[in-house]
Amino acid sequence: MLLRVIEMSGLAIIMFSGQAENFIPLAVLTQTAVNMNIPVRIFVTGTALPYFTKNKPEPRFSKEFEDMVPALMGGMKKLQMPSWYEILKEAKELGDVKIYACSLMAEVMGLKKEHLDEIVDDIVGAAFFMKESENMKVIFI
Amino acid sequence: MSEKHLVDARGMSCPGPITKLVKTYRTAKNGDIIEVLATDPGFIPDVKAWIEKTGNELLELKEEAGVIRAVIKITAKK
Repeated sequence: MLLRVIEMSGLAIIMFSGQAENFIPLAVLTQTAVNMNIPVRIFVTGTALPYFTKNKPEPRFSKEFEDMVPALMGGMKKLQMPSWYEILKEAKELGDVKIYACSLMAEVMGLKKEHLDEIVDDIVGAAFFMKESENMKVIFI
Repeated sequence: MSEKHLVDARGMSCPGPITKLVKTYRTAKNGDIIEVLATDPGFIPDVKAWIEKTGNELLELKEEAGVIRAVIKITAKK
């Protein structure tokens, strides 16, 4: 263990939204938790799941966010900010991060393990995730 | 022998500077000094929080001409 063990026992993120703007907080919070030596467990479900497959749909911003998109994209480009995917992947390489696909959504969408992106660790049910994230702080995105 | 490491995170946005610091921290040892240069406006409170969480020592933290400079002494590695 390189870093001192800290009080917070972990961060559980339920990634439900597939709207493009919501992937940024997912990535930033995950990488920050890793930097603070906090384990992260991510449960990908709802409309977010297609973005965790090998065949990702085009990013779609929510209606109320559309006006901000040009400024946001310009600012991110100027800052040479990595994509949410790159930030999340780097976080996984650096720390204790597990990404799980919801088995119900996977079934509904006809997705098998081989269809999912390599950053996804496994397909699991809600009971497994609740057990994994016991005593963790939960964030719903 | 203690070493000095320079982390140049100028131009990087949150959480980039802390991530870059952590990557260097992992290769460093107790007694080493890490100097971080950053321009992200959140870096001052962020590096303070990181120091508090990890228990390392902050020797210097100041902003000059838009560049934040943090000097950290590594003391908390196990």
